[in-house]
Amino acid sequence: MKPTTVPGPPQMALVVHPDLGVVSALQSALAQKGFTAIIARDLPTALLAITQHYLEIAVVASHLQENGDGWPLAGVLHLVFPRAYVAVIDRVEPDILTLQAAINYGVREIYQQSTPAQDLVSSILATFEKSSPGARPTVQ
Amino acid sequence: MRKRSILIVDDEDNVLHTLRMVFENEGYEVATASSCHRALEILDDGRSFDAVLTDLNMETEDIGLEVARAAGKRKPKPAVVICTGFATMENSRESLDLAVDYMAHKPVELSALISALNRLISRHRDLRGRR
Repeated sequence: MKPTTVPGPPQMALVVHPDLGVVSALQSALAQKGFTAIIARDLPTALLAITQHYLEIAVVASHLQENGDGWPLAGVLHLVFPRAYVAVIDRVEPDILTLQAAINYGVREIYQQSTPAQDLVSSILATFEKSSPGARPTVQ
Repeated sequence: MRKRSILIVDDEDNVLHTLRMVFENEGYEVATASSCHRALEILDDGRSFDAVLTDLNMETEDIGLEVARAAGKRKPKPAVVICTGFATMENSRESLDLAVDYMAHKPVELSALISALNRLISRHRDLRGRR
């Protein structure tokens, strides 16, 4: 018998970026893939969202109010949601220290801000679905 | 509670000796390997570790990534830490792709390394306990 998808609770994503254009584009791209995306443009709003939702994907800008302050937030998201896919958006191409920061904060991938939202979400979901085969349960 | 255990892999005897002393002093049960080959043998033996701390350049350049890869496949997965004096874009990128838990650049600040390992091990144990 063909497996049937069991409808579960909505899959939640958090997008934290100070640029309204970026958050809107990512929210829309995630919604097209079936995710409910919560958006935050600053740290307090992001922290509030963390207390109110169970997140499976988080995309955080490396720069919120000041340079690099998005990294500790990414680290917090990794600690609170250990199975979530946490990605960081940076303005420039990563260097060795950026890659080290990503490893040490538990970030799965770094994307450049110039990456189109659809491509970014497709790339995240390709890895997310591979690492979470049980994310959408099925019955036989 | 069971003692924390760590496998330390480095081809420099003085580094291996120092790290053994440091982690034994922290209450860890320490095993050491002075090559990637030996580390893989120890991991294949089926012995379980809370953490694996490896250098990158040993028999050949970046071969420590093989230790990280093998450790990452163990169940339960230990905390995997890379400690290197020769970080490059390539080995850093691969470490990220392998989901290495922590990367330290030599010269290493020991207090930061110990703190990171203690945190990672507590977290891994906590996650295992919740399953």
